[in-house]
Amino acid sequence: MAAMAFDAEDDRSDEALLALYGRGDATAARELTRRLAPMAFRVAARLLGDRAEAEDLAQEAMLRLWRMAPDWQAGTAKVSTWLYRVVANLATDRLRRRRGLPLDAVPEPADERPGALGAMIAADRAAALDRALLGLPERQRQAVVLRHLEGLGNPEIAEIMGVGVEAVESLIARGKRGLTEALAGRREELGYGDG
Amino acid sequence: MAMAERDQQDRRLEDFFAAARDRAPDPSEALMARILADAEAARRLAAVARPSEGLWARLGAMLGGWQGIGGLATATAAGLWIGYAGLADPAELSGGLVGAAGETVELMPEVEVFVLAAGTEG
Repeated sequence: MAAMAFDAEDDRSDEALLALYGRGDATAARELTRRLAPMAFRVAARLLGDRAEAEDLAQEAMLRLWRMAPDWQAGTAKVSTWLYRVVANLATDRLRRRRGLPLDAVPEPADERPGALGAMIAADRAAALDRALLGLPERQRQAVVLRHLEGLGNPEIAEIMGVGVEAVESLIARGKRGLTEALAGRREELGYGDG
Repeated sequence: MAMAERDQQDRRLEDFFAAARDRAPDPSEALMARILADAEAARRLAAVARPSEGLWARLGAMLGGWQGIGGLATATAAGLWIGYAGLADPAELSGGLVGAAGETVELMPEVEVFVLAAGTEG
């Protein structure tokens, strides 16, 4: 991270900063980038499982934010909700295009080869989860990532995904069942007992 | 799924979620720089097209800035003047522009001599 360039704190809301940027304020873009670009990249990386592609997607999503800024209607939505939705939609588009590719063209997530039994560290668990997430159906993966990794509430996830709250709850429940099954074989390796 | 079983599943998964949250992938400095460069480019583009800057600013942007407007104004004034001058006396127009009077250029030298000769022969 560019800590030197992006570490300034700013009390203003994302919406206020976006309005300033939309009126031509160059400095607002720096703070918005500091706050929002890591989120766009992080979510993209988890939905796509490929760092380079996630960087492209995050840049594209942020570009849409910059272009939309002059037309932003205050009070319509949170900027972060809008950006989550753009990231999710762009990821869906890319995953659909990927389906037309031969299998060996699809990037594989990094191989998180397990270490010695009982000596697993958090990195292995995180990698195991990332891999299990990529095995989920796309909509379940989106819902689980937004709920359990981004910490969003179900109503906001419903807004992002364009479905009702009940549909979100169902997607998350099915996603978690899928993850539990995928990780079941790894629990012993990852230093967990049965309990 | 029974509630107790679901709770147990949630507790187990939460360990994995917590580990993943702690190890969230960070964007590279290069990506952050590219995003900021995009922001600046989009801001400049929007400033050119922004309606709130008024008619003259938008005209200026369309015509290539104040130099373009200056050229357009000169051409317009010249056209207006040419119109008036032309109505009065076209001969004065060229004389006034080049600042020289009484110069005549013969495009077909002695043409009247040939016409005269043809008339006398026929």
